[in-house]
Amino acid sequence: MANFRSIQTANRRKTFLLLFFMGLLVWCIAYIAVVSFGGSGAGVIPLAVGISLISVWGSYYASDKLVLKMTRAKVIEQSDHPQLFNLVNEVCIASGLPMPKVAIVEDPAPNAFATGRDPSHALVAFTTGLLNSMDRDELQGVVAHEMAHVANRDTLVSAVAATTAGVVALISDILMRMLWFGGGRNRDHGGNQMPIFLAIIPLILAPIAATMLKSAVSRKRESLADATAVSFTRNPAGLRSALEVLARDTTVVQARSSAVAHMYIESPLDASAASRLFATHPPIAERIATLRKMESNPEFNQ
Amino acid sequence: MDLFSVAILLLASLIIFVIIQYNRLVRLNVQVDEAFAQIEVQLKRRADLIPNLVETVKGYAAHEREALENVVQARAASTTASTLPAIAAADGALTNALRGLLAIAEAYPDLKASSNFLQLQEELASTENKVSFSRQFYNEIVRRLNTAVKTIPTSVFVSLAKVGEREFYEVEDPSAQNAPNVKFE
Repeated sequence: MANFRSIQTANRRKTFLLLFFMGLLVWCIAYIAVVSFGGSGAGVIPLAVGISLISVWGSYYASDKLVLKMTRAKVIEQSDHPQLFNLVNEVCIASGLPMPKVAIVEDPAPNAFATGRDPSHALVAFTTGLLNSMDRDELQGVVAHEMAHVANRDTLVSAVAATTAGVVALISDILMRMLWFGGGRNRDHGGNQMPIFLAIIPLILAPIAATMLKSAVSRKRESLADATAVSFTRNPAGLRSALEVLARDTTVVQARSSAVAHMYIESPLDASAASRLFATHPPIAERIATLRKMESNPEFNQ
Repeated sequence: MDLFSVAILLLASLIIFVIIQYNRLVRLNVQVDEAFAQIEVQLKRRADLIPNLVETVKGYAAHEREALENVVQARAASTTASTLPAIAAADGALTNALRGLLAIAEAYPDLKASSNFLQLQEELASTENKVSFSRQFYNEIVRRLNTAVKTIPTSVFVSLAKVGEREFYEVEDPSAQNAPNVKFE
Protein backbone atom coordinates (compact mmCIF):
# COMPACT_ATOMS: atom_id res chain seq x y z
CA MET A 1 0.00 0.00 0.00
CA ALA A 2 2.89 2.32 -0.53
CA ASN A 3 1.08 4.72 -2.78
CA PHE A 4 1.36 8.47 -2.32
CA ARG A 5 -2.40 8.93 -2.22
CA SER A 6 -2.89 6.48 0.66
CA ILE A 7 0.07 7.97 2.53
CA GLN A 8 -1.34 11.47 2.08
CA THR A 9 -4.76 10.40 3.37
CA ALA A 10 -3.26 8.63 6.39
CA ASN A 11 -1.12 11.63 7.38
CA ARG A 12 -3.99 14.09 6.97
CA ARG A 13 -6.15 11.92 9.23
CA LYS A 14 -3.41 11.66 11.85
CA THR A 15 -2.85 15.44 11.83
CA PHE A 16 -6.55 15.96 12.41
CA LEU A 17 -6.56 13.47 15.31
CA LEU A 18 -3.49 15.07 16.91
CA LEU A 19 -4.98 18.56 16.66
CA PHE A 20 -8.18 17.17 18.15
CA PHE A 21 -6.21 15.80 21.12
CA MET A 22 -4.49 19.15 21.52
CA GLY A 23 -7.89 20.83 21.68
CA LEU A 24 -8.96 18.27 24.26
CA LEU A 25 -5.85 19.05 26.29
CA VAL A 26 -6.77 22.76 26.30
CA TRP A 27 -10.22 21.88 27.63
CA CYS A 28 -8.72 19.67 30.35
CA ILE A 29 -6.34 22.34 31.56
CA ALA A 30 -9.09 24.98 31.41
CA TYR A 31 -11.29 22.63 33.42
CA ILE A 32 -8.62 22.22 36.06
CA ALA A 33 -8.12 25.99 36.19
CA VAL A 34 -11.81 26.61 36.81
CA VAL A 35 -12.38 23.72 39.21
CA SER A 36 -9.37 24.13 41.46
CA PHE A 37 -8.79 27.87 41.24
CA GLY A 38 -12.33 29.19 40.91
CA GLY A 39 -12.90 32.65 39.47
CA SER A 40 -9.23 33.65 39.29
CA GLY A 41 -8.46 30.42 37.43
CA ALA A 42 -11.18 31.15 34.89
CA GLY A 43 -9.69 34.61 34.35
CA VAL A 44 -6.38 33.05 33.36
CA ILE A 45 -7.89 31.33 30.30
CA PRO A 46 -8.70 34.38 28.13
CA LEU A 47 -5.36 35.91 29.15
CA ALA A 48 -3.43 32.83 27.99
CA VAL A 49 -5.43 32.50 24.76
CA GLY A 50 -4.89 36.20 24.05
CA ILE A 51 -1.13 36.15 24.59
CA SER A 52 -0.70 32.95 22.61
CA LEU A 53 -2.82 34.16 19.71
CA ILE A 54 -1.01 37.49 19.45
CA SER A 55 2.48 36.01 19.65
CA VAL A 56 1.91 33.14 17.24
CA TRP A 57 -0.37 34.80 14.69
CA GLY A 58 1.79 37.85 14.36
CA SER A 59 4.68 35.67 13.29
CA TYR A 60 2.36 33.55 11.14
CA TYR A 61 1.12 36.55 9.24
CA ALA A 62 4.57 37.99 8.58
CA SER A 63 6.31 34.61 8.40
CA ASP A 64 7.87 35.16 4.97
CA LYS A 65 9.51 38.42 6.07
CA LEU A 66 10.47 37.34 9.61
CA VAL A 67 12.08 34.12 8.47
CA LEU A 68 14.21 35.96 5.92
CA LYS A 69 15.73 37.92 8.80
CA MET A 70 16.10 34.98 11.17
CA THR A 71 17.83 32.71 8.68
CA ARG A 72 19.77 35.37 6.75
CA ALA A 73 18.18 34.18 3.51
CA LYS A 74 18.37 36.43 0.43
CA VAL A 75 15.58 36.54 -2.15
CA ILE A 76 17.02 35.94 -5.63
CA GLU A 77 16.02 36.70 -9.21
CA GLN A 78 15.80 34.30 -12.14
CA SER A 79 19.18 35.41 -13.48
CA ASP A 80 20.93 34.61 -10.17
CA HIS A 81 20.22 30.90 -10.48
CA PRO A 82 18.33 29.96 -13.66
CA GLN A 83 18.30 26.24 -12.90
CA LEU A 84 16.78 26.68 -9.44
CA PHE A 85 14.13 28.96 -10.92
CA ASN A 86 13.41 26.39 -13.62
CA LEU A 87 13.01 23.69 -10.97
CA VAL A 88 10.64 25.78 -8.86
CA ASN A 89 8.69 26.72 -11.98
CA GLU A 90 8.39 23.04 -12.99
CA VAL A 91 6.96 22.08 -9.60
CA CYS A 92 4.54 25.05 -9.77
CA ILE A 93 3.25 23.69 -13.08
CA ALA A 94 2.93 20.20 -11.60
CA SER A 95 1.04 21.46 -8.55
CA GLY A 96 -0.92 24.39 -9.97
CA LEU A 97 0.57 26.68 -7.28
CA PRO A 98 1.62 30.27 -8.00
CA MET A 99 5.34 30.99 -8.28
CA PRO A 100 6.73 31.64 -4.77
CA LYS A 101 9.61 33.89 -3.78
CA VAL A 102 12.88 31.97 -4.02
CA ALA A 103 15.72 32.62 -1.58
CA ILE A 104 19.23 31.36 -0.99
CA VAL A 105 20.94 31.03 2.40
CA GLU A 106 24.74 31.30 2.42
CA ASP A 107 25.46 28.18 4.42
CA PRO A 108 27.62 25.12 3.68
CA ALA A 109 25.13 22.77 5.38
CA PRO A 110 22.62 21.37 2.87
CA ASN A 111 19.09 22.28 3.90
CA ALA A 112 15.93 23.97 2.66
CA PHE A 113 12.69 25.37 4.03
CA ALA A 114 9.37 26.86 3.02
CA THR A 115 7.18 29.42 4.74
CA GLY A 116 4.50 32.06 4.11
CA ARG A 117 0.94 32.43 5.33
CA ASP A 118 -0.66 31.20 2.09
CA PRO A 119 0.44 29.99 -1.36
CA SER A 120 0.50 33.53 -2.77
CA HIS A 121 2.85 34.71 0.00
CA ALA A 122 5.04 31.63 -0.08
CA LEU A 123 8.81 31.67 0.22
CA VAL A 124 11.07 28.72 -0.47
CA ALA A 125 14.72 28.89 0.53
CA PHE A 126 17.73 26.68 -0.14
CA THR A 127 21.20 26.73 1.34
CA THR A 128 24.22 27.08 -0.94
CA GLY A 129 25.41 23.77 0.54
CA LEU A 130 22.27 22.06 -0.77
CA LEU A 131 22.56 23.60 -4.24
CA ASN A 132 26.20 22.51 -4.48
CA SER A 133 25.78 18.95 -3.27
CA MET A 134 22.82 17.75 -5.35
CA ASP A 135 22.11 16.88 -8.96
CA ARG A 136 19.05 18.06 -10.89
CA ASP A 137 16.77 15.16 -9.90
CA GLU A 138 17.68 15.45 -6.22
CA LEU A 139 17.12 19.21 -6.21
CA GLN A 140 13.78 18.65 -7.90
CA GLY A 141 12.82 16.31 -5.04
CA VAL A 142 13.77 18.93 -2.44
CA VAL A 143 11.96 21.73 -4.30
CA ALA A 144 8.87 19.50 -4.54
CA HIS A 145 9.04 18.72 -0.80
CA GLU A 146 9.17 22.45 0.03
CA MET A 147 6.37 23.28 -2.40
CA ALA A 148 4.37 20.42 -0.84
CA HIS A 149 4.57 22.29 2.50
CA VAL A 150 3.15 25.33 0.70
CA ALA A 151 0.38 23.28 -0.94
CA ASN A 152 -0.53 21.60 2.36
CA ARG A 153 -0.64 24.96 4.20
CA ASP A 154 1.86 23.76 6.77
CA THR A 155 2.67 27.25 8.05
CA LEU A 156 -0.98 27.46 9.06
CA VAL A 157 -1.06 23.96 10.56
CA SER A 158 2.05 24.59 12.64
CA ALA A 159 0.67 27.99 13.74
CA VAL A 160 -2.48 26.26 14.98
CA ALA A 161 -0.40 23.64 16.80
CA ALA A 162 1.90 26.30 18.28
CA THR A 163 -1.04 28.40 19.49
CA THR A 164 -2.68 25.44 21.20
CA ALA A 165 0.56 24.30 22.80
CA GLY A 166 1.19 27.91 23.85
CA VAL A 167 -2.21 28.19 25.52
CA VAL A 168 -1.61 25.00 27.51
CA ALA A 169 1.89 26.09 28.54
CA LEU A 170 0.73 29.57 29.59
CA ILE A 171 -2.25 28.38 31.62
CA SER A 172 -0.09 25.81 33.41
CA ASP A 173 2.63 28.34 34.05
CA ILE A 174 0.33 31.02 35.44
CA LEU A 175 -1.54 28.51 37.63
CA MET A 176 1.72 27.11 39.00
CA ARG A 177 2.75 30.64 39.99
CA MET A 178 -0.63 31.20 41.61
CA LEU A 179 -0.13 28.00 43.60
CA TRP A 180 3.28 29.20 44.70
CA PHE A 181 2.24 32.68 45.75
CA GLY A 182 -0.87 31.93 47.74
CA GLY A 183 -3.10 29.63 45.80
CA GLY A 184 -4.23 28.17 49.11
CA ARG A 185 -6.80 30.82 49.72
CA ASN A 186 -9.40 29.21 47.50
CA ARG A 187 -9.66 26.29 49.87
CA ASP A 188 -11.94 28.29 52.16
CA HIS A 189 -14.58 28.83 49.51
CA GLY A 190 -16.51 25.62 49.77
CA GLY A 191 -16.70 21.91 49.14
CA ASN A 192 -17.05 21.63 45.36
CA GLN A 193 -13.44 22.57 44.64
CA MET A 194 -10.83 19.97 43.88
CA PRO A 195 -8.04 19.78 46.47
CA ILE A 196 -5.36 22.05 45.08
CA PHE A 197 -2.44 19.61 45.36
CA LEU A 198 -4.23 17.27 42.96
CA ALA A 199 -3.90 19.96 40.28
CA ILE A 200 -0.09 20.02 40.45
CA ILE A 201 0.50 16.80 38.53
CA PRO A 202 -1.64 17.69 35.51
CA LEU A 203 -0.16 21.19 35.56
CA ILE A 204 3.33 19.70 35.20
CA LEU A 205 2.35 17.07 32.64
CA ALA A 206 0.07 19.11 30.37
CA PRO A 207 2.74 21.38 28.82
CA ILE A 208 4.97 18.35 28.19
CA ALA A 209 2.10 16.52 26.51
CA ALA A 210 1.30 19.63 24.45
CA THR A 211 4.90 19.89 23.23
CA MET A 212 4.94 16.19 22.32
CA LEU A 213 1.68 16.54 20.39
CA LYS A 214 3.02 19.62 18.60
CA SER A 215 6.14 17.69 17.57
CA ALA A 216 4.00 14.77 16.42
CA VAL A 217 1.98 17.14 14.21
CA SER A 218 5.23 18.42 12.71
CA ARG A 219 6.44 14.84 11.99
CA LYS A 220 3.15 13.93 10.29
CA ARG A 221 3.37 17.06 8.13
CA GLU A 222 6.90 16.07 7.06
CA SER A 223 5.75 12.60 5.98
CA LEU A 224 2.79 14.20 4.24
CA ALA A 225 5.09 16.64 2.41
CA ASP A 226 7.24 13.72 1.18
CA ALA A 227 4.15 11.97 -0.22
CA THR A 228 2.78 15.19 -1.74
CA ALA A 229 6.18 15.87 -3.31
CA VAL A 230 5.95 12.49 -5.05
CA SER A 231 2.44 13.36 -6.23
CA PHE A 232 3.99 16.41 -7.95
CA THR A 233 7.08 14.85 -9.53
CA ARG A 234 6.04 11.15 -9.68
CA ASN A 235 9.70 10.51 -9.03
CA PRO A 236 10.28 9.16 -5.49
CA ALA A 237 13.85 8.24 -6.44
CA GLY A 238 14.90 11.91 -6.71
CA LEU A 239 13.72 12.86 -3.22
CA ARG A 240 14.98 9.59 -1.75
CA SER A 241 18.44 10.18 -3.14
CA ALA A 242 18.33 13.80 -1.88
CA LEU A 243 17.50 12.56 1.63
CA GLU A 244 20.41 10.13 1.38
CA VAL A 245 22.72 13.07 0.61
CA LEU A 246 21.31 14.87 3.67
CA ALA A 247 21.72 11.77 5.83
CA ARG A 248 25.37 11.39 4.81
CA ASP A 249 26.08 15.04 5.47
CA THR A 250 27.35 16.00 8.90
CA THR A 251 27.68 19.76 8.65
CA VAL A 252 25.20 21.64 10.80
CA VAL A 253 23.22 24.70 9.74
CA GLN A 254 25.01 27.78 11.09
CA ALA A 255 22.04 30.02 11.79
CA ARG A 256 20.29 27.19 13.60
CA SER A 257 17.68 27.91 16.17
CA SER A 258 14.93 25.77 17.59
CA ALA A 259 12.48 28.54 16.62
CA VAL A 260 12.82 27.67 12.94
CA ALA A 261 13.84 23.99 13.25
CA HIS A 262 10.43 22.67 12.23
CA MET A 263 10.63 24.39 8.87
CA TYR A 264 13.70 22.71 7.46
CA ILE A 265 13.60 19.63 5.23
CA GLU A 266 15.99 17.91 7.65
CA SER A 267 16.20 18.82 11.32
CA PRO A 268 19.01 21.38 11.66
CA LEU A 269 19.45 20.51 15.34
CA ASP A 270 21.67 17.85 16.80
CA ALA A 271 19.66 14.63 16.64
CA SER A 272 20.89 13.30 19.96
CA ALA A 273 19.74 16.41 21.82
CA ALA A 274 16.08 15.66 21.24
CA SER A 275 14.46 12.38 22.02
CA ARG A 276 12.20 10.81 19.41
CA LEU A 277 9.02 12.06 21.08
CA PHE A 278 10.12 15.67 20.81
CA ALA A 279 11.67 15.45 17.33
CA THR A 280 10.17 17.77 14.71
CA HIS A 281 11.12 15.39 11.88
CA PRO A 282 10.64 11.63 11.39
CA PRO A 283 13.94 9.74 11.37
CA ILE A 284 15.53 10.24 7.95
CA ALA A 285 16.04 6.47 7.50
CA GLU A 286 12.31 5.95 7.92
CA ARG A 287 11.54 8.60 5.28
CA ILE A 288 14.00 6.98 2.87
CA ALA A 289 12.40 3.56 3.48
CA THR A 290 8.90 4.94 2.73
CA LEU A 291 10.11 6.51 -0.53
CA ARG A 292 11.82 3.24 -1.49
CA LYS A 293 8.52 1.46 -1.01
CA MET A 294 6.88 3.98 -3.35
CA GLU A 295 9.65 3.37 -5.91
CA SER A 296 9.14 -0.37 -5.84
CA ASN A 297 5.39 0.01 -6.27
CA PRO A 298 4.81 -0.01 -10.04
CA GLU A 299 1.52 1.83 -9.64
CA PHE A 300 2.95 4.76 -7.73
CA ASN A 301 2.34 7.13 -10.62
CA GLN A 302 -1.28 6.23 -11.23
CA MET B 1 -39.29 29.27 16.11
CA ASP B 2 -42.45 29.15 14.05
CA LEU B 3 -43.06 26.99 11.03
CA PHE B 4 -42.55 29.85 8.58
CA SER B 5 -39.01 30.69 9.71
CA VAL B 6 -38.10 27.00 9.68
CA ALA B 7 -39.27 26.81 6.07
CA ILE B 8 -37.27 29.92 5.16
CA LEU B 9 -34.17 28.50 6.82
CA LEU B 10 -34.53 25.17 5.02
CA LEU B 11 -35.05 26.90 1.69
CA ALA B 12 -32.02 29.14 2.24
CA SER B 13 -29.75 26.20 3.10
CA LEU B 14 -31.06 24.30 0.06
CA ILE B 15 -30.22 27.25 -2.20
CA ILE B 16 -26.72 27.55 -0.68
CA PHE B 17 -26.22 23.81 -1.19
CA VAL B 18 -27.19 24.02 -4.86
CA ILE B 19 -24.92 27.04 -5.40
CA ILE B 20 -21.94 25.22 -3.85
CA GLN B 21 -22.39 22.11 -6.04
CA TYR B 22 -23.00 24.17 -9.16
CA ASN B 23 -19.93 26.35 -8.54
CA ARG B 24 -17.75 23.34 -7.86
CA LEU B 25 -18.58 21.83 -11.25
CA VAL B 26 -18.14 25.11 -13.11
CA ARG B 27 -14.88 25.87 -11.31
CA LEU B 28 -13.44 22.43 -12.15
CA ASN B 29 -14.47 22.85 -15.77
CA VAL B 30 -12.69 26.21 -15.95
CA GLN B 31 -9.63 24.70 -14.26
CA VAL B 32 -9.50 22.02 -16.96
CA ASP B 33 -9.41 24.75 -19.61
CA GLU B 34 -6.65 26.57 -17.71
CA ALA B 35 -4.63 23.39 -17.33
CA PHE B 36 -4.98 22.71 -21.04
CA ALA B 37 -3.85 26.24 -21.84
CA GLN B 38 -0.77 25.57 -19.68
CA ILE B 39 0.05 22.47 -21.76
CA GLU B 40 -0.18 24.56 -24.93
CA VAL B 41 2.07 27.25 -23.45
CA GLN B 42 4.72 24.65 -22.61
CA LEU B 43 4.43 22.93 -26.00
CA LYS B 44 4.94 26.31 -27.64
CA ARG B 45 8.02 26.97 -25.49
CA ARG B 46 9.45 23.65 -26.55
CA ALA B 47 8.67 24.27 -30.22
CA ASP B 48 10.48 27.62 -29.94
CA LEU B 49 13.60 25.97 -28.55
CA ILE B 50 13.87 23.42 -31.35
CA PRO B 51 15.20 25.56 -34.25
CA ASN B 52 18.09 26.64 -32.01
CA LEU B 53 18.76 23.03 -31.02
CA VAL B 54 18.63 21.80 -34.60
CA GLU B 55 21.07 24.51 -35.73
CA THR B 56 23.47 23.69 -32.91
CA VAL B 57 23.41 19.95 -33.63
CA LYS B 58 23.80 20.59 -37.40
CA GLY B 59 26.99 22.48 -36.73
CA TYR B 60 28.63 19.34 -35.30
CA ALA B 61 26.66 16.45 -36.77
CA ALA B 62 25.16 17.62 -40.05
CA HIS B 63 25.14 14.12 -41.51
CA GLU B 64 22.70 12.84 -38.87
CA ARG B 65 20.09 13.86 -41.40
CA GLU B 66 17.40 11.39 -40.36
CA ALA B 67 17.29 12.30 -36.68
CA LEU B 68 17.32 16.02 -37.49
CA GLU B 69 14.63 15.59 -40.12
CA ASN B 70 12.45 13.66 -37.64
CA VAL B 71 12.60 16.48 -35.12
CA VAL B 72 11.83 19.17 -37.70
CA GLN B 73 8.88 17.19 -39.07
CA ALA B 74 7.50 16.36 -35.63
CA ARG B 75 7.77 20.02 -34.64
CA ALA B 76 5.90 21.09 -37.78
CA ALA B 77 3.17 18.51 -37.08
CA SER B 78 2.83 19.67 -33.49
CA THR B 79 2.32 23.32 -34.44
CA THR B 80 -0.56 22.48 -36.79
CA ALA B 81 -2.45 19.99 -34.58
CA SER B 82 -5.72 21.41 -33.23
CA THR B 83 -7.88 18.74 -31.57
CA LEU B 84 -6.86 17.31 -28.19
CA PRO B 85 -6.04 13.78 -29.43
CA ALA B 86 -4.07 15.24 -32.37
CA ILE B 87 -2.12 17.59 -30.09
CA ALA B 88 -1.36 14.73 -27.72
CA ALA B 89 -0.22 12.46 -30.55
CA ALA B 90 2.02 15.16 -32.07
CA ASP B 91 3.40 15.92 -28.61
CA GLY B 92 4.30 12.26 -28.09
CA ALA B 93 5.95 12.03 -31.51
CA LEU B 94 8.03 15.16 -30.86
CA THR B 95 9.09 13.89 -27.44
CA ASN B 96 10.36 10.71 -29.09
CA ALA B 97 12.09 12.51 -31.96
CA LEU B 98 13.86 14.81 -29.46
CA ARG B 99 14.93 11.86 -27.39
CA GLY B 100 16.37 10.24 -30.51
CA LEU B 101 18.30 13.38 -31.43
CA LEU B 102 19.71 13.81 -27.94
CA ALA B 103 20.76 10.16 -27.86
CA ILE B 104 22.72 10.78 -31.06
CA ALA B 105 24.27 13.93 -29.58
CA GLU B 106 25.86 11.68 -26.96
CA ALA B 107 28.23 10.38 -29.65
CA TYR B 108 29.66 13.86 -30.40
CA PRO B 109 31.94 15.06 -27.62
CA ASP B 110 32.58 18.41 -29.36
CA LEU B 111 28.85 19.06 -29.56
CA LYS B 112 28.30 18.06 -25.95
CA ALA B 113 31.06 20.40 -24.84
CA SER B 114 29.88 23.41 -26.86
CA SER B 115 28.61 26.24 -24.68
CA ASN B 116 25.53 26.69 -26.83
CA PHE B 117 24.54 23.05 -26.36
CA LEU B 118 25.19 23.14 -22.62
CA GLN B 119 22.90 26.13 -22.29
CA LEU B 120 20.24 24.41 -24.38
CA GLN B 121 20.54 21.26 -22.30
CA GLU B 122 19.19 22.86 -19.10
CA GLU B 123 16.45 24.66 -21.04
CA LEU B 124 15.43 21.44 -22.81
CA ALA B 125 15.50 19.35 -19.63
CA SER B 126 13.36 21.94 -17.88
CA THR B 127 10.96 22.38 -20.79
CA GLU B 128 10.55 18.63 -21.16
CA ASN B 129 9.66 18.46 -17.44
CA LYS B 130 7.29 21.41 -17.76
CA VAL B 131 5.53 19.72 -20.69
CA SER B 132 5.09 16.46 -18.82
CA PHE B 133 4.10 18.17 -15.53
CA SER B 134 1.49 20.26 -17.31
CA ARG B 135 0.05 17.07 -18.87
CA GLN B 136 0.03 15.42 -15.45
CA PHE B 137 -1.67 18.42 -13.81
CA TYR B 138 -4.26 18.55 -16.59
CA ASN B 139 -5.05 14.85 -16.15
CA GLU B 140 -5.32 15.31 -12.38
CA ILE B 141 -7.90 18.10 -12.81
CA VAL B 142 -9.79 16.08 -15.44
CA ARG B 143 -9.81 13.16 -13.00
CA ARG B 144 -11.32 15.43 -10.32
CA LEU B 145 -13.92 16.83 -12.73
CA ASN B 146 -14.90 13.41 -14.07
CA THR B 147 -15.23 12.07 -10.53
CA ALA B 148 -17.45 15.04 -9.61
CA VAL B 149 -19.56 14.50 -12.74
CA LYS B 150 -20.11 10.85 -11.81
CA THR B 151 -20.59 11.10 -8.01
CA ILE B 152 -23.45 12.36 -5.86
CA PRO B 153 -24.19 15.17 -4.99
CA THR B 154 -22.42 17.02 -7.81
CA SER B 155 -23.70 14.56 -10.45
CA VAL B 156 -27.25 15.84 -9.88
CA PHE B 157 -26.28 19.32 -11.10
CA VAL B 158 -24.36 18.27 -14.22
CA SER B 159 -27.07 19.27 -16.65
CA LEU B 160 -27.80 22.49 -14.77
CA ALA B 161 -24.16 23.55 -14.93
CA LYS B 162 -23.84 22.33 -18.54
CA VAL B 163 -20.62 20.53 -17.58
CA GLY B 164 -19.66 17.03 -18.67
CA GLU B 165 -16.79 14.59 -18.48
CA ARG B 166 -13.63 15.73 -20.26
CA GLU B 167 -11.00 13.85 -22.22
CA PHE B 168 -7.71 12.83 -20.63
CA TYR B 169 -4.52 13.97 -22.33
CA GLU B 170 -2.96 10.71 -23.32
CA VAL B 171 0.41 10.51 -24.99
CA GLU B 172 0.57 7.37 -27.10
CA ASP B 173 4.15 6.39 -26.41
CA PRO B 174 4.16 4.45 -23.13
CA SER B 175 7.74 5.44 -22.29
CA ALA B 176 6.79 9.12 -22.56
CA GLN B 177 4.20 8.68 -19.83
CA ASN B 178 6.29 7.13 -17.12
CA ALA B 179 9.43 9.13 -17.78
CA PRO B 180 8.68 12.63 -16.55
CA ASN B 181 12.31 13.18 -15.69
CA VAL B 182 14.39 13.32 -18.81
CA LYS B 183 18.09 13.31 -18.23
CA PHE B 184 20.29 15.03 -20.74
CA GLU B 185 23.59 14.18 -19.12
